[in-house]
Amino acid sequence: MTAIALTLRRYSAGATPGQIGLALAIALFLAVFLVVPVATVIYVAFTEKGTGAFTLVNFQDFFATDLFVRSFWNSIYVSLMSVAWASAIALPLAYLTSRFEFRGSAIIQTLGFLPLIMPPFVGAVAMTLLFGRNGTLNLLLDDWLGFKIPFMEGLNGVIFVEALHYFPFILINLSAALANIDRAMEEAAQNLGCSGMRLFRRIVFPLAMPGYVAGASLVFVKVFDDLATPLLLNAKDLLAPQAYLRVTSIGIADPMGYVISVVLIAGSIAAVWLSNLALRGKDYATVQRGGGGLSRRTLKPWESAAAYAVITLILLLVLAPHLGLLILSLATVWSFSPLPDAYTLAHYARVFGDSSLYIKNTLIYAALAGTIDVIVGTAIAYLVLRTKLIGRQWLDWTAMAALAIPGVVLGIGYLRTFYGVSLPDGTPLATLWIMIVIALAIRRLPYALRACHAALQQISVSVEEAAENLGATKARTVRRVVVPLMTGGILAGFVTSFSTAAVELSATLMLVQSNSDAPLAYGLYVFMQSAAGRGPGAALGVIAVLFVALCAYASHRLVERSEKKQGAVR
Amino acid sequence: MLRLWAATAAAIALTFIAGDAGAQAPSGKVTIVTSFAKDVTDPFKKAFEAAHPGATLEVQNRNTNAAVKFIEETRANNQVDLMWASAPDAFEVLKGKKLLQAYKPKATGIPEKVGSYPINDRDGMYFGFAASGYGIMWNERYARANKLPDPKEWQDLAAPAFHDHVSIAAPSRSGTTHLTIETILQGEGWDKGWRTIKEMAGNFRNVTERSFGVPEAVNSGQVGVGIVIDFFAFAAQAANFPVKFAYPSVTTVVPANIGIIANAPNRAGAEAFVEFILSPKGQEVLLEPGIRRLPVNTATYAKAPAGYPNPFKDPQFQKMMLFDVDKSETRTAVVDTLFDQLISFQLDGLKAATKAVHDAEAALAKKDNAQARALVKEARDLIAAMPLAEAQAAQARAAFTGAKEKGARQAELEQQWAAFGKERYAQAKGKAEQAARLAR
Amino acid sequence: MSKAVGVNIRGVNVSYGANHVLKDVSLDIEPGEFFAFLGPSGCGKTTLLRLIAGFNHADSGEVRIGGTDVAGLPPWKRDVGMVFQSYALWPHMSVARNVAFGLEERRLPRAEIDKKVAAALELVGLSHLAQRRPSQLSGGQQQRVAVARTVAIEPKVLLLDEPLSNLDAKMRVQVRRELRDLQQRLGLTTIFVTHDQEEANTICDRIAVMNDGVVQQVGTPMELYERPANLFVANFLGTANILDGRLVDEGGRRWFEIAAGARVSVLGDAAVPAGSKLVFRPQHAGVAAAGTTSDLPGTVSHREFLGATVRYAVRVGTAEIVVDAPFQNGDGLHAPGAPVAVTLPAQAILWLSA
Repeated sequence: MTAIALTLRRYSAGATPGQIGLALAIALFLAVFLVVPVATVIYVAFTEKGTGAFTLVNFQDFFATDLFVRSFWNSIYVSLMSVAWASAIALPLAYLTSRFEFRGSAIIQTLGFLPLIMPPFVGAVAMTLLFGRNGTLNLLLDDWLGFKIPFMEGLNGVIFVEALHYFPFILINLSAALANIDRAMEEAAQNLGCSGMRLFRRIVFPLAMPGYVAGASLVFVKVFDDLATPLLLNAKDLLAPQAYLRVTSIGIADPMGYVISVVLIAGSIAAVWLSNLALRGKDYATVQRGGGGLSRRTLKPWESAAAYAVITLILLLVLAPHLGLLILSLATVWSFSPLPDAYTLAHYARVFGDSSLYIKNTLIYAALAGTIDVIVGTAIAYLVLRTKLIGRQWLDWTAMAALAIPGVVLGIGYLRTFYGVSLPDGTPLATLWIMIVIALAIRRLPYALRACHAALQQISVSVEEAAENLGATKARTVRRVVVPLMTGGILAGFVTSFSTAAVELSATLMLVQSNSDAPLAYGLYVFMQSAAGRGPGAALGVIAVLFVALCAYASHRLVERSEKKQGAVR
Repeated sequence: MLRLWAATAAAIALTFIAGDAGAQAPSGKVTIVTSFAKDVTDPFKKAFEAAHPGATLEVQNRNTNAAVKFIEETRANNQVDLMWASAPDAFEVLKGKKLLQAYKPKATGIPEKVGSYPINDRDGMYFGFAASGYGIMWNERYARANKLPDPKEWQDLAAPAFHDHVSIAAPSRSGTTHLTIETILQGEGWDKGWRTIKEMAGNFRNVTERSFGVPEAVNSGQVGVGIVIDFFAFAAQAANFPVKFAYPSVTTVVPANIGIIANAPNRAGAEAFVEFILSPKGQEVLLEPGIRRLPVNTATYAKAPAGYPNPFKDPQFQKMMLFDVDKSETRTAVVDTLFDQLISFQLDGLKAATKAVHDAEAALAKKDNAQARALVKEARDLIAAMPLAEAQAAQARAAFTGAKEKGARQAELEQQWAAFGKERYAQAKGKAEQAARLAR
Repeated sequence: MSKAVGVNIRGVNVSYGANHVLKDVSLDIEPGEFFAFLGPSGCGKTTLLRLIAGFNHADSGEVRIGGTDVAGLPPWKRDVGMVFQSYALWPHMSVARNVAFGLEERRLPRAEIDKKVAAALELVGLSHLAQRRPSQLSGGQQQRVAVARTVAIEPKVLLLDEPLSNLDAKMRVQVRRELRDLQQRLGLTTIFVTHDQEEANTICDRIAVMNDGVVQQVGTPMELYERPANLFVANFLGTANILDGRLVDEGGRRWFEIAAGARVSVLGDAAVPAGSKLVFRPQHAGVAAAGTTSDLPGTVSHREFLGATVRYAVRVGTAEIVVDAPFQNGDGLHAPGAPVAVTLPAQAILWLSA
């Protein structure tokens, strides 16, 4: 901390005191709520067994162990393949909805966002029921054609589910980037003889690259660090599950679990760093932000039919988990059959009483976490892109590292760091629900940060210079010009943070201290631990998804309206 | 937040005012950490709060490992009154770390042992409130579609018919599965036991990370057969899933437990809950369809529905073997790690070798060949081979105690064991394939 | 260079909802001509240009390029090069790659592309900046890259959408000359959209003055200046005095009365349609001392010295008349407030209506 402060002070030429203060405040926030708690857990990775002295021998062990090396390459393979498949899903959706005049673009975009808010457990359960070895599809295939397709076997299953789960990161960022491209860029290419896919490949896509790379790197890192999906699909030869399994069982006292965590963190930072490197020096700001995005073409009837067919197909696929969840929530018994034996509403009746409390808590936690995230995210993006403070990149990297911190490591870190701190009345700090909010905010900060970063990157500096030229201070320029122009990106960040925080479990599980403080995901977890709880759990899952989706949709509409108003003034 | 402060303040006030006046009616918040599902905790919460107006039961749901970790991490400022879970070894860990508080329950009608297992901890640190046995659960529809016979014994699951149809939770992840594995090892002996386990494991579809992952997969028909604790099957049956359950002859019934945490903020409330759960009223709650565990109060069985297993009477439980908790405790980490390194993370190799052996044996059944038979036996021995003998297992534990003791590092040992398994499975596969060619 | 082609526009209508942007527009642009669409913003000139490029769709009417109806052709099959107001240089490509783009789209062999890129950059004098990124160039350089990128494909027609508007005044004068030279060298039919009459006058062969979606007049800059077809054109090109008044018959002669005691004799053969206004250029009138025989007595309200001329504003009744008098020396100037008479030769008068 002090070192950072000194560095900042020494190299802060050209920065205003306000900017330095902001940088320090954010550094402090990250240090207290991310670096210190995590450090209290993973320092073990660097200690020698028995003596506790500093050593790197554990990393040597890591690379000498077949299982870990295999897991390492599997993780990279699964992450890359997931990015590829997620792109294959997201590209057509983003392209079609942003390039063409489409009825229900907003609904399609919202639906395309839904997979992100699939609560843990239930998503993989529903996918298995539909696509598993004895899922709906394979039972039918086996009946009719006498063969099965191994969608969910081994690493393929992980790639399949992860791609469906995380493609919205690409969709959201890419759509925002596409919307920001000056129409003339596209027309100039058409004018020179370029059209269709070539136009997309040569002009539109490269210009939307910052958004795509932001999304793709998120997907990569997210898959690289995800443990819930592989564990539920019983794919354990991956780094994140290995770390988790060791940290939470016999390896708890062994450094190796923490060594894997360090490798995960390093891998994630490397991915983000590489993506930054790939975009360095590319000034993709399109000067006329008011000039309107890509022109939307009206489709001919048959084109429109084809486009809707593609979109429907993709949406059916990506919403399959939700469909499965819905069926599960209405099912009496669903066992080794394409569809449930019978249907009932009893599960909803069962969870009705509990859900209002869970929803209230979820709303408060997720909204607060999302708000903290966009504030901190915007601030970090601004410091990184608009100031010359030395070490500003470290704020970015540190915040992004949160992606790679297994939730359980953060949870334990919080308990260690804050349980000893008591409030005046003797309550430990860690038992306050606000700690859940902060843990959620830290876990979801990278999403908001990437979105804000991409949004700010696309705003030309000259817009700010114009404001300063007219007498606005830096702070007022940010407030009156930069933030309003970033609204789209900030909203995307908020919605992503909010929605995913609303269904986050792993850190919550460690920090929830009483049922009355519990959010939805926790209630869902509690239900999903028993045979009779499967239906009610699914019902709660459906409620969670609907609720979060409605909130996301409402905020989307709200900002759209205010942007329209802005557009009219411009 | 205000609510929480108020509750905490009330709890603190209570400790000061009530002091040791245990006779006083319990009140305020009783906080319990448990691995049990809502289906189990809700009925108890309701019944307890009805029996003790003024007291509220605050349930924190965590899986067993996380619960132990949580109590350990927060010991400096403990806010939890009770720990409530199945696996006795989790309580052994808590006891070993002096995180439990001794107590002598006043409840009557509870025998000293269930099967051959003592119901209460001998030091009075935790108490059995329900019994559970381990066994085999299967999905009838799945079994019919795949023409699986009804399994009765562990060894049945090693038959070629069950290849790729069996699921188990990793013993390192599930206290109950660990006990199942340990039961087989103690019942059949180290070498024979591992042979049985590995022969079964050669048929595994997968090794799940959560205990509930197994019954879940069996319930939904993704997997045909699961190795589970009995109440998972009973609860599934109560929810009308088409599943069946059998206790193999080598198994044990062990109690599920409750214990008071050292420095409990609401000790009176904690004691009241322990008394309640052991009382006839509390024991009856266990019979609810969503819970379906075996009460430890023998009188409660009079109220049970027909066909409810009774470990104190039914003959099958009487021959169940004794479970040596101490022996289990000393080698927990080694057994679990062996399982992970030789089975969980080598499942593909192990399955391939097992499949090759099955194929060779099928070929031999049609056309016998002495040389091939010898090769198959070699292959089976290679699969069953263990990197260390029983006596070494207890010594190897030093590697699993983290930074406290110097010695071999866990990762080093793991790599040795994994390499051992990988090499032998590959050899076994080669030999079995050679045998199959000879028999052709 | 390919042989220059003409552009023929017949009866084109374009509407955006209730907004009728182009109303029955017809124009003929000759092969090799430097043609301007001139008009205030919102007059429809850019819409017309984009229609030729294929970015807009006409509700009715036809557009022919080199005799071919292009209605069914998408922009990328029209072979018309367009230089955008914002230049639309792709930031992810170097200057050379930007210029090569259209040639690559035409699947030319690499060697030929390289040759043509070099030639195009040579043409605009930017060969030394080929490997730069657009963001590293000045506005003028970017503009020239945009032109090079467009002419590299040797389009049938070159469309320029306000290409000078993002340049400073000095650059503008220089670049417009370069554009004119370039067009002359290439013999390329060029359409230039601008709202600046000086730009149009200086470089274009002919101009179509547009207002409110309608082509007001087509002609050479001089024709438009000398014989504007209506008040809008007269006013939009150069300065014009436009005086309201009424036609009176007196003693067999027609007079146009601007104010009480201020009237102008109308030539016997002049056609003065009803509602017409009296229009003349400031340099065609003169200012004489009061009392001189004149039809238009008034008072000097302002005087501006412009170097070669002196510009007077003379109040006649309620109207203010601008007169540019040649400046010889300081003698004979009329001071503000001085009573004067405006002299106006009958030949200089135009009778125009809206």
